Amino acid sequence: MDIIQKRLFLLLSILTSILMTSAHQKQGTLTTVSINAVGGLKYDKVRFQVKPGSKVKLIFANKDDMPHNLVITEPGARIEVANAASGLGDNGVELNYVPKHSKVLWSTALLNPGETTSLIFSAPEKEGIYPYVCTYPGHSLVMFGVMYVTNKAIPLLENDPNIPPGNKSSDVTQQNAQHPASHFSEPAPPYTKVPPFLYRAFIPDASPTAIAVRLPQNISYCWDAATCYLRYAWEGEFLDNTEIWKGHFQAYAKVMGTVFFRNNTRFPLYVDKPGNVPTVKFKGYRLVNRYPEFHYTINGIDVYELLKENKEGTGLIRTFRIPKSSRIIWFAFTDEDGVNYTSSVGNPTNGKLELSPGENIQFTIIMTKKRL
Amino acid sequence: MRPYIPELLIISLSIFSGCSSDRNNHVAGTSYEIHSISTPDWLTCETGGIDFLPDGRLAACFQRGEVMIYDPETKEWTLFAQGLHDPLGIMVINKSEFLVMQRPELTRVKDTDGDGKADLFETVTDDFGQAGNYHEFNYGPVKDKSGNLFIAISLPSEGGKIMPETRGRMDTNGVSPIQFSVVPYQGWILKITPDGRQIPYAMGFRSQNGLGFDLEENLLVTDNEGDWVGTDKLYHVQEGNFYGHPASLIWKKDWNRGNPYKIPISELDSMRTKAAVLFPHGIMTKSPSQPVCDNTQGKFGPFSGQIFVGEMNSERIIRVMLEKIDGELQGACIPFIDGSGLRKGNNRLAFAPDGSLWVGQTSHGWPGGEGIQRIVFTGKQPMDIYSMNLTTRGFDLTFTQPVDDFAALNPDNYKFQRYYYQYHGKYGSPKMDVQTVAVKDIKIFPDHKKVSLTLDSLKAGYVYQLNVENLKAASGDSLANSFICYTVNKLSK
Repeated sequence: MDIIQKRLFLLLSILTSILMTSAHQKQGTLTTVSINAVGGLKYDKVRFQVKPGSKVKLIFANKDDMPHNLVITEPGARIEVANAASGLGDNGVELNYVPKHSKVLWSTALLNPGETTSLIFSAPEKEGIYPYVCTYPGHSLVMFGVMYVTNKAIPLLENDPNIPPGNKSSDVTQQNAQHPASHFSEPAPPYTKVPPFLYRAFIPDASPTAIAVRLPQNISYCWDAATCYLRYAWEGEFLDNTEIWKGHFQAYAKVMGTVFFRNNTRFPLYVDKPGNVPTVKFKGYRLVNRYPEFHYTINGIDVYELLKENKEGTGLIRTFRIPKSSRIIWFAFTDEDGVNYTSSVGNPTNGKLELSPGENIQFTIIMTKKRL
Repeated sequence: MRPYIPELLIISLSIFSGCSSDRNNHVAGTSYEIHSISTPDWLTCETGGIDFLPDGRLAACFQRGEVMIYDPETKEWTLFAQGLHDPLGIMVINKSEFLVMQRPELTRVKDTDGDGKADLFETVTDDFGQAGNYHEFNYGPVKDKSGNLFIAISLPSEGGKIMPETRGRMDTNGVSPIQFSVVPYQGWILKITPDGRQIPYAMGFRSQNGLGFDLEENLLVTDNEGDWVGTDKLYHVQEGNFYGHPASLIWKKDWNRGNPYKIPISELDSMRTKAAVLFPHGIMTKSPSQPVCDNTQGKFGPFSGQIFVGEMNSERIIRVMLEKIDGELQGACIPFIDGSGLRKGNNRLAFAPDGSLWVGQTSHGWPGGEGIQRIVFTGKQPMDIYSMNLTTRGFDLTFTQPVDDFAALNPDNYKFQRYYYQYHGKYGSPKMDVQTVAVKDIKIFPDHKKVSLTLDSLKAGYVYQLNVENLKAASGDSLANSFICYTVNKLSK
């Protein structure tokens, strides 16, 4: 299926399920529940509630990149059933890793990535907490949830002892949206944390190869190794990598501050005349007193760029070195970048600064936050 | 709430661990012991790569970006570099220079001022795309004797997404419902020559989390079960070959056939090079990782020249024995260490100069483990299957000790099954055409170590799974591992 077909299919499935749900709700008999297997060995829904004896349609989709199933067991039988499944060994595949066990109530097939299935069953008349679990080998310890069969109120999410740890700090429907779960917090390294330092990760508003640098004065910036230029800078805290560090699902570092500079010109250095966008190549960086000095080439000419905070913590000082330059270099910018520009040589005006071969051996651009 | 970033170390030197003490697993009379290495409390020990300095110190990189050095003498860890992007491989050049495979680049990480900390990070190659998908893992490097480096770029996963901005030329012909390829050279092995040229070397991989050479310098690469990969496997990788996952074909030079998924399966099947050894999924491995050749010349026991392969999702390391049949490598796999205190997550293997095998573990959201362990040969000869070799009539089993003749001559003690795996776009494959195969005749060689089995039938294209029962050594030692699988691609002539 191509992506458009897939989206259409998804849309139709959603529409169908809405129509079906509303139709059945009119009859007052069917509860529809959708649960997805998602990255990081998780169900996106770790609990739901149904009335005793009510008819339930459970739609189970595998949105992860490995096989999963969903097995509903008698109350308290999750671990017992999961252990029986691990004992299947070689026979597991044919049985969808579902053991022939008296405490298995309902089970789905083993779904490969991208597949969807459903279960229709009548909830037990007996009130209780009925676990559901993925019995694929290795998954059951963390990949489970519970079906509350009751007319009464169920525990608050944060106090619910029946769901996997790490799901309690936010609403189940938006687990990943709000807080870094304390479950994943790390002990602090036993050394003084003092900027400058850098960290590479998937960071928003840049290519996947960005470099985030923490400077003194609560200033940070994002320099992109694919495009070879400074993308943006912010004040406040640095990055929150909690989501990335969980592994095994699509995640980005969060920028923990306010962006005060954003490059709007794309590549800022031109050779010979403004508008000559050069071919760039990232060569690496050297730590100079722990500040990275980036090394790249523009049309084959070596450029070194070192960024520091200014003393007042109101902006960045960018020092460029072009040791073997014999060409005119232009530095380009816009008034919408969020900063005022000054330079060690020449006078940046109308969005550009011309630097002769003698001047561009080393020059400094100072970018100061605009006061609002 | 504070962000949890491993911030810079200013004073960082030796970092002592306070967490776990060495938990050594001593079992009296066994051939191998497993020792756990203490790691600093603050370190999330998701091991991406390990290698040894000539002086016996260990260099390791971890998935949250650290490169660290461990001195087994003093049991001290020092931090060499940090902030790298999901590094999944490290190679020692010398005591102040390492190559690290991170997501965006293969990087030379170097201490140029002699203070024991890296200060220069040079791009060795970044001549491949980046789509910004979490499953876009890069593996390697390994080096051949001529100095060529080999790295691997895996396929991203449809379970994830790509970023709005990517690096490299985008081509959506390689999009599929499971693993896909949209920028060069996802699904490839790349070669980098000593003069820095990058050569796209071989294609058709899915998540090839492990590269290594055997003693004859054959490049061996594992791949993980999934779409187009019916079961876990080990490939013998040669230049220009296609190994089965179609997504990567779009980056083949002069590719003019558009969407590779539209090519009939029979044609793809005839284009591909089959694995040298299949690892039956779920029973032999669940997620194989790095192959490493035993070059210890006996320091690690009787398996010199054979290959050990890590296994991520169980407490296991397997052993692989290869032979050339009709000009091609094929062979068998057998568990090596199974439990006995070994953790899960066995991602990286390296032999120390003292001949012990070090294992770096990771989980990273998968069912694995974390930490570093060390496997030491005690000197006691194990009773194990040393090799399984194809003959014209069946297999020769060679044991590490003389066998007890009475048990070895009983045909009921050899349970053979044969089956194959399907080549298709679905995830994995059931075992197909499973049949038991009877042993017709048994002959023991004069050394009492080699047993020749004649089978009722022998057919190419099948895995021959053997469960050995009730067999023991003449010394009385029981067989350490009794389950072995031989992949018959070709018959012996």
